[in-house]
This record gives sequence, structure tokens and C-alpha cells, in this order.
Amino acid sequence: MTNIKTLICAATMSLALPQGIAQTDQARTEKTKSEPLTVNVKGMVCDFCARAVSKVFGKNDAVDLVHVDLDNGEIHVDLKPGTNLTDEEIESLVKKSGYAMVSVEREIF
Amino acid sequence: MRIGYAAALAASMSVMSANFADARPISYPGGWTLMQKNNSDFSSVHVHYSPTFQDSLGLYSERNWTQDWHFTGVQYNRLVKRWNEKNAQANLYLKTGIGQGDPFGDGDIELAGFLGIAADWETRRWFTSYEGRAYDLTFDQSVRHAARIGVAPYLGDYGDLHTWLMLQVENQPERETPTTLTPLVRLFYDVQMLEIGYTPETERFMANWIVRF
Repeated sequence: MTNIKTLICAATMSLALPQGIAQTDQARTEKTKSEPLTVNVKGMVCDFCARAVSKVFGKNDAVDLVHVDLDNGEIHVDLKPGTNLTDEEIESLVKKSGYAMVSVEREIF
Repeated sequence: MRIGYAAALAASMSVMSANFADARPISYPGGWTLMQKNNSDFSSVHVHYSPTFQDSLGLYSERNWTQDWHFTGVQYNRLVKRWNEKNAQANLYLKTGIGQGDPFGDGDIELAGFLGIAADWETRRWFTSYEGRAYDLTFDQSVRHAARIGVAPYLGDYGDLHTWLMLQVENQPERETPTTLTPLVRLFYDVQMLEIGYTPETERFMANWIVRF
């Protein structure tokens, strides 16, 4: 009887363990991976505009990388691991740069 | 010889030409700008700091060749209104300056000031602007206007060399040739902007240089 209990316990653990490891890995990955954002902006038509946006976003502690796409009026932002910016915070940064935000697209992994 | 020629050309450009329509007089928050302009009427230096994208405060010095005076003072620029559109931007600016005017021996140094208004509309392909400015130096009052239209022959992305072909019309009623036309090229790369043009009516070159840091 004891042997049967031991076997059941071992079988349960053998099924549960990989899932537990997988969950831990996923949580770790989410914590270390930077979240790319695409911000659609109105009024960004020149290099000075792009520079203004890069400077203002670059000063934010959560921002890792900024790339401005003038052709499409987009700001591509990589956040630092474990950080986040709300839509309101992003809109505030766009306004501080002198432009108007249209939308934010978040890449979901 | 080449250096001598280049120096002579630079010197000529620094005291000649006919242009004063500004590029944007306000930078990004925390940004500094140096604007240096030279034309047949004046040479000027404007250094300013922008605490916000709507304001800049700095020093302005202008040596006016045609009316023979020198203004030195503080200049404040205000973005009154910006219109952000999907593929365009328009701005309305107010510019004010207060300081001293020196008539170079024709009188005492006097309190002086100016008031200006500037507007522009720009897409990545097209550009138009207007600026009007009135000076009161006690011993001399003057007004000048300039408007521009420009086209970008190609569209570069952020970080590329941007080129604009522009035509400027300028009016100064007190001048010997009150209205002039100046074709010019604007080159825009990284933090620097250079404008070079030529005014056939006065046979003068123009050269403007702006750097933001």
C-alpha cells in the first residue's frame, strides 16, 4: 500500500514538475524581455521633430531604445526589462515633445 | 590659395546676402540652439535655451549694415499655437526682444526692442513660412517681412541628409531695393542646418547656420 502511494505521488510530481518549470521560465522571460511599443503620432514631419521625440523619450527611466519612423509617423520604443509605461504616460511624453498622440500598439509575446 | 579663396568667400557671405526668415525658434525641452545669420542687411547671432517646447529664452545680437546700428539684448520666443496634423504641422510664434541699440557715433546708446510674429506650415515635401518684425531703437524704427515656399526634392528618413529648395521674398520699405527674391538651398543633417542663397537684385549671397545641442 505504501509502495502504491509512493508511485502515485512520484507520477503526480513527474507530470506537475515540467509544467512548474515552464511557468517559472515564462515568468522569468517576461520579466527580462523588453516590451516594444509603437506610438502613432501626428505632426512629426522633420528631423528636428524626430530629435525632440528621441530626447524626451530617451530621458524617461523606463525607456531603453527609441527609433523614429518619419515615413509612417511612428515612434518605436523598447522598454527596459521589468518596466512599463501606461498610455497616459506615453501621451504625456508625446505632448511634452510638442506633438499629438493618435494610438499606442503593444506587441504581445 | 584655396584656403584664401574659401576664407574670402566665407567672409563675403558673412557680410552679404538677403534673408531673415527663421527656422523654428524653439527647441525641445532642455535643448540649446545657436543661430547665426548673414545677409546684405545684417549679421546676427541668437543663442537660446528652451525649457519647454513652447518657450525659448536667449541672447540676440544684430549688426545692421544698411541702417548702421547694433542691437544687443535678450530675446524671448513663444510658440502661441501648434497644429499637429497626420502629415503636416503648422506653427504660430511670437518673438520679442529688449536691449540696447547703438547708433555708432550718431547718437547715444538707447533702450531698444523689437516685436515679431512668425508662422509656418510644413509637410515632409512642402514648406511655407512668413515672418514680420518691427524694431524700435529710439533713433530708428523699421519693419521687415519675409515669406518662403520650399520643396524637398526627395524624402529622407530620420538621420539622413535632408535637402530643401526654397524661394524667399523679402520686403523692407526703407531699403534701396525694397523687395527682393532669393532662391536658396537648405541642407539639414543631424543637429545642423545650413542655408545658402543668392539675391540677384542686390547681387549678394546669404548664409545661415543653425545648430541644436
